[in-house]
Amino acid sequence: MESKRSLMLRLPPEVYSLIILIGLLTIFTIFSNYRFLSYENLRALGRLLPDLGVVALGVAMLMIAGEFDLSISSQIPLCSYVMITLLKSGFGEILSLLVVLGVGAVLGFINAVITIRGRIPSFITTLGTMLLWRGVVYVWSGMMPIPLRPYLPETSILALVFVSEVFGVPVQIIWFAAVAIVLGLILHRHRFGNWVYATGDNELAAKEMGINTALTKTICFMTVGILAALVSVLQLYRIESFAATQGIGFEFRAIAACVIGGISLRGGSGSVIGAILGIIAMQTIDTGLILMGVPVFGVSAFIGIVIVVFGLLVTRAGRKFVS
Amino acid sequence: MINIHKWFGTVHALNGVDFTVNRGEVVGLVGDNGAGKSTLIKILSGVYPPDMGEIYFEGRKVRFRSPADARKLGIETVYQDQALAPNLSIVRNIFMGREITASFGFLDLKKMSGEARKAIETLGLRVRSPLEPVAILSGGERQGVAIARALYFKAKLVILDEPTAALSIKETQKVLDFVRLLKKEGVSVIFITHNLYHVYEVADRFVVLFRGMKVADVLKEQTSIEELACYITTGKAAA
Repeated sequence: MESKRSLMLRLPPEVYSLIILIGLLTIFTIFSNYRFLSYENLRALGRLLPDLGVVALGVAMLMIAGEFDLSISSQIPLCSYVMITLLKSGFGEILSLLVVLGVGAVLGFINAVITIRGRIPSFITTLGTMLLWRGVVYVWSGMMPIPLRPYLPETSILALVFVSEVFGVPVQIIWFAAVAIVLGLILHRHRFGNWVYATGDNELAAKEMGINTALTKTICFMTVGILAALVSVLQLYRIESFAATQGIGFEFRAIAACVIGGISLRGGSGSVIGAILGIIAMQTIDTGLILMGVPVFGVSAFIGIVIVVFGLLVTRAGRKFVS
Repeated sequence: MINIHKWFGTVHALNGVDFTVNRGEVVGLVGDNGAGKSTLIKILSGVYPPDMGEIYFEGRKVRFRSPADARKLGIETVYQDQALAPNLSIVRNIFMGREITASFGFLDLKKMSGEARKAIETLGLRVRSPLEPVAILSGGERQGVAIARALYFKAKLVILDEPTAALSIKETQKVLDFVRLLKKEGVSVIFITHNLYHVYEVADRFVVLFRGMKVADVLKEQTSIEELACYITTGKAAA
């Protein structure tokens, strides 16, 4: 029995994620002549990373509970459109923000209800809602981009809160850190977090022990919705424009980030630290390849290869760790 | 349980079954596949209601609307696949759904860890650390964790559904030791199995179900494995 528990096999998947991340950082630093580690680049990274990162953290928690949400890529432009429409109609910034977060919660709730009541795999439900909401946004907005500036008040509170810098640090990364800390505490140190893990690892056992797995999953779906809404506003204020094509590709990038971070596709395992490593890795690849001058289409191919390779490595590591 | 009947569609799964368990007694509930053992204990643990008949616990009539009701009275069931979450630690499994919290629902990890250690030591289970994932444990050890959980939460009646299925001989002996320990602690046990040899070692009494009916209810001293086997396969005593 002892030989099965050798050190190699007992390393948690997050260690592999860290190794991969350090490897990536090294490669990109070398190939970009150290431009990668420059202050300008790191600051840009800090501004962009939370777009994916904030919602990917929610996706991580949902995946640990055993479900997927592909519709985030459509929730983002939809919430963005609602936000700008409210601002156009003269509503205050704070009120509009609260309404949009509410919309996100509702979208998440819809995903939850269809999946749980309909007993359909969430992959299918959210594939459907993804297509549905994007269609709604396309028709409703007529695909026209809308600039943000004209509709902001003289002193925009949200611009300060979402797009400024604090001691040279982009405020977006502070938001990411805040969400990471809150979600991390809940997932790893709160009773609800134990319910999330139990639901994802062995739903029957969780139910048997009295955990309300339906409620647990619903809260996870709604969290993803709220975070997607938050991201939509973050993006809107950073780009200073609504574009109906916002968010395309986020669904897979978020899942890829989680997989790289050691979160199992089957649910029941993974950590916030792992998710953070995976998110940084994803963003590193994005930014690094651009810095190296790789054409945009090449980036997708690279990410595809990376996902498969890391998925294999990390899932294998995870399996060995557990068995 | 008195005069329990249960139908699934037109199938008469349980036909007038009377079933009693006394304090501190180990009852072997045996019967072939489809005899109704699972159905009977599912009714007792609150998963289904009986279509006819009554249940009394400690002298009082009870009606369970859910497994939670049964659990509140001290009836705990340990199923084969539905007991533990393999990726979670022993601590988190023991306190699944019943976590010890400090303020605002945050886990009191230190207390949980300490209590978990005590719980498994009561059973004589040795693990390196209660923070290890359950998946690292052997089959017998996992049963031990599930039983330790029931014991910790002061179960009065523990129902073991096929606890020794798919276990090695050594692991089986461990589980039987746990059952003996439960009895020593004054906990009643219902031991459901196909394997007469396993349950014969630890049971005080046997109840045999055959096609939804109780065909035998005998003390160990009054019967033998051969006789029980005959009841199981034919529904009658030795021809």
